[in-house]
Amino acid sequence: MAENPHKADEAILQVNHLSKAFGKNLVLKDIDFTVCPGDVISIIGASGSGKSTLLRCINLLETPTSGEILYHGRNVLARGTNAPEYRSHVGMVFQSFNLFNNMTVLDNCMAGQIKVLRRGREEARAHAMEYLEKVGMAPYINAKPRQISGGQKQRVAIARAMAMDPEVLLFDEPTSALDPEMVGEVLAAMQNLAESGMTMLVVTHEMAFARDVSSQIVYMNQGVICEQGSPEQIFQNPQKQETRDFLSRFRREDSPQVRS
Amino acid sequence: MGKFAQLGADIAKLWSQYSNSYFSGMKNTLILALVGTIIGCVIGFICGVLNTIPYSKNDHPLKKFFLKLIRVIIRIYVEVFRGTPMVLQAVFLFYGLPYFSNNAVRFSSIWVAAIVVVSINTGAYMAESVRGGIISVDPGQTEGAMAIGMTHVQTMTSVILPQALRNIMPQIGNNFIINVKDTSVMFIIGFPDFFAAHRAAVGASYLYFPSATVEMIGYLTMTLLASFLLRWAERKMDGSSSYELVQEDQLTMTAGTYRHPGEGTPFDERSKEYENLEREGR
Repeated sequence: MAENPHKADEAILQVNHLSKAFGKNLVLKDIDFTVCPGDVISIIGASGSGKSTLLRCINLLETPTSGEILYHGRNVLARGTNAPEYRSHVGMVFQSFNLFNNMTVLDNCMAGQIKVLRRGREEARAHAMEYLEKVGMAPYINAKPRQISGGQKQRVAIARAMAMDPEVLLFDEPTSALDPEMVGEVLAAMQNLAESGMTMLVVTHEMAFARDVSSQIVYMNQGVICEQGSPEQIFQNPQKQETRDFLSRFRREDSPQVRS
Repeated sequence: MGKFAQLGADIAKLWSQYSNSYFSGMKNTLILALVGTIIGCVIGFICGVLNTIPYSKNDHPLKKFFLKLIRVIIRIYVEVFRGTPMVLQAVFLFYGLPYFSNNAVRFSSIWVAAIVVVSINTGAYMAESVRGGIISVDPGQTEGAMAIGMTHVQTMTSVILPQALRNIMPQIGNNFIINVKDTSVMFIIGFPDFFAAHRAAVGASYLYFPSATVEMIGYLTMTLLASFLLRWAERKMDGSSSYELVQEDQLTMTAGTYRHPGEGTPFDERSKEYENLEREGR
């Protein structure tokens, strides 16, 4: 995990010594990592290891206890940071979709562009349609969120986040709340995004996706980054015993599917 | 039976003499209740939004101080106006202002005075209703709005309040109906509402019970009409329960939809690759 000074220069996000405590419960301990343009980083680890909290800290939905988050070298945890402005560059896709229930699919994808980016209605509509078509949700623009399935909601959520033209997109377990048959359509949409060069930070339990799509894997255990490296390194040659234990659990769970 | 005939005759007599005054009273009552409820709702919504501005440890101390101050002021407003009778509030405001300013400041019209009192009173109740309405909206909605860079006010006006408004529509209806009835206390400052028409009529005719019957029927008619309209408005707000598919492109029409499993998706090819990779990986 040696710091590469050249890489740090062009980093979009740099997390330094980040810690987060809920009361006496220390959830994140001294986290360091860097996100560069084009990176697709999968954060894996057991439930309760702090993956989602890390992502929520990066988007300032949680306030870290200590440490810094540099966005193009500027610490966004410093006083006087314009949090909404920062968040408009860092998109987020949630486990529970969080589509606006009072708006149609199309309005969901236009609201942020109009209110935050101050785009005109026509421009916002065209841009929203572009991404809705990419995720295959263009026919459903008149539906309300309660009328579509979970997988469809999540694809709309991805289009909504992308319509803001973010520099980096955070995914917080995007498929965990979905029925098994809907996971594939969301993963496919995410894979398309990754291949188009989008910078992504994905908290996931989908090991196959992490292995095949990401450029880097971060394994978190009990609030610390236990191991970090390329998918080959982590999946084929993990260095730490904890990583091996974690991955072997997944192999066992996956094995019946592979045999069939 | 004779008594009912007598009542009918008395009502007919009252009606022939005072129907205009009853009607204008009803009109004034409805206008006062409606305007008071609407302004009260606006006050309630403003209080609700101010009450829920979030602050964190990292914020400037001055900002935190002001936000806390606002919450305290709203709390005092709510407790005072919810905890005292509207009839006394009317007296307090209407006679209090000239009393303290040696008649320099007074309400120019009885309408302004009545609307101010009813609005402030309704606002105190609505502030709490709106707070409840905002709490009842899933916190994920706020997070979703914040994550695309909306400010607190933008989040509130375009995402949370429309949903909160729908949730508290029954409460708004309650308040409106209560206002239709309770504006009757405004006779204390001389407001010509429906109940004032009753006082005027019985003052001259001494037909207390027949006039009260007219009032009962009149108030009930107004409130039933209000309930009916409110239910209709609620249904209107819920919108259509179905939606139209937009067929902009034959290819995307059924793309990736689980409703048309037979149609295939543009991602099919990719998922096959994906499966192959998965097999090779093991």
